[in-house]
Amino acid sequence: MRARILAVSIFAALFCLLTGCSAGDFGLDKEITVITREDGSGTRDAFIRLFDIFAVDEYGRSYDATVMTADTQPSTGVVIASVTDNKNAIGYISVGALCKGIKALSVNGAAATAENVKNGSYNVARAFNIATLQNPSSAAADFIAFLLSAEGQAVVEESGYISAVDGAESFRGSHVFGTVTVSGSSSVAPVMQKLKEAYETINPHVTVEVNISDSSTGVSDAANGSCDIGMTSRELKDSELSRGLVSTAIALDGIAIIVNPENSIDSLSPEQIKAIYTGQTSTWSEVIAYEG
Amino acid sequence: MKAKTRETVMRIVFMLAACLSILAVLLICLFLFANGIPAFREIGLWNFISGKLWRPSTDVYGILPMILGSLYVTAGALVIGVPIGILMAVFLARFCPEKLHAVLKPAVDLLAGIPSVVYGFFGLMVIVPAIRNAFGCSGTGLLAASLMLGIMILPTIISVSEAAIRAVPDSYYEGSLALGASHERSVFRAVLPAARSGIVSAVILGVGRAVGETMAVIMVAGNQAVVPSSIIKGLRTLTANIVLEMGYAADLHRDALIATAVVLFVFILIINLLFSVMKRRSAA
Repeated sequence: MRARILAVSIFAALFCLLTGCSAGDFGLDKEITVITREDGSGTRDAFIRLFDIFAVDEYGRSYDATVMTADTQPSTGVVIASVTDNKNAIGYISVGALCKGIKALSVNGAAATAENVKNGSYNVARAFNIATLQNPSSAAADFIAFLLSAEGQAVVEESGYISAVDGAESFRGSHVFGTVTVSGSSSVAPVMQKLKEAYETINPHVTVEVNISDSSTGVSDAANGSCDIGMTSRELKDSELSRGLVSTAIALDGIAIIVNPENSIDSLSPEQIKAIYTGQTSTWSEVIAYEG
Repeated sequence: MKAKTRETVMRIVFMLAACLSILAVLLICLFLFANGIPAFREIGLWNFISGKLWRPSTDVYGILPMILGSLYVTAGALVIGVPIGILMAVFLARFCPEKLHAVLKPAVDLLAGIPSVVYGFFGLMVIVPAIRNAFGCSGTGLLAASLMLGIMILPTIISVSEAAIRAVPDSYYEGSLALGASHERSVFRAVLPAARSGIVSAVILGVGRAVGETMAVIMVAGNQAVVPSSIIKGLRTLTANIVLEMGYAADLHRDALIATAVVLFVFILIINLLFSVMKRRSAA
């Protein structure tokens, strides 16, 4: 009997600890939990370029100046989970990954939607690229032609991303056979999978294999010939371009700045976002008062 | 004659199997050192180990924050896991009724079988919000990682310590009782000291698990490459550093991550050496 009372009270205490207390509420004077992605992530790379989060060190080299105390999370999923849970958090993810439980901030007054990325009013966007060697096999060349055609770009838009080719021409398939292997970024893979399915219905003689790893693996596979096409969610580095690779954009993806739905802020300027991520401001009221 | 041939063939098969596993270890060593040493040469061993700044974008690589991060998290895990683990082992070995033991022992074994990413989710969904509510901070950091690793090393510590305590000859316990000591006094003053080296081995194995744990720690540690200034601040461990950036790294950055793995490997080697020293001492 005594043990049971003890057990119940322990559970009750735990429950209070987990759900009660008000320390976790949103407040303008609360410290912001800045959430970033890991160094070298395609999303982080694009984010720091778009908001110019750079500083110059004593040797005149510019570096990623994301505040050192920012929480570094390894994936889009964990960023979403952290922002859903933490009322004072701010993070960034692909516009295609937006979901319930988080709120996307407007930047310069434009909401983070695919339409706004396309018409240019929401300009926080990056390109999904493919990396290939100069002379791809005929099957690979045909698949690449499909990716950049009107049909291919239509698939891109259906998947929630934005077409990267202006005035794409319709696809004129050639009679090719064989296998095309595609490998690389997990951000690009979902849309590539759909492109593969659409292409294989048009040209059933070619099999497309999509292997998911990450941007760097995809690029190095393409460079050493172990795959035909590498997918990357970032721009190629000079060292990669010097291995004879060509990079082509197949889609655009917006980056949404996300906060908890209880956050009273709906819109920030690029300067304010930069101030948060470089650590110049640490509470929401400082951010509101901040003027570049 | 036929039986003898079969004997020889099987002996060769067994030997090949043994060679294969040793080969795997040798290849890993070879890979690590062959790929890591260029980075040490380029960055400088001392700069690499004592550098406080990790900034891949300008090729500045210092892993002191990560080394300290790994040490802090491991120490935190020990503070939480060792007392609970040893007391639990004592309970299981000497105080627990037979029926309860039949439930508790499989439960502890189950704890060991839970995949680390599940621990990570538990940490992210339960421990982190609890700490956030209690301290009004982000919640991720040293305290969350220590609590979670403390739980994760429990099964190792409990089962190895329990085995060590059970291995103590009954004459120790009975002798102590015969001298008039109570049950508790006999267990804690006679049996436990006799099992000391086994318990130390258990702790060392726990350290190995804590240092090597990756997935779960990444999810709750915050992963900032800075030396934490308090127990609720975020930190990054050696393993987290490798996993977070390996996928994207190229050139010297990649080499620096492999060099991080070399440092981690040396850590684990030291721990294993300690373990075998302890084991030899307990055998003697």
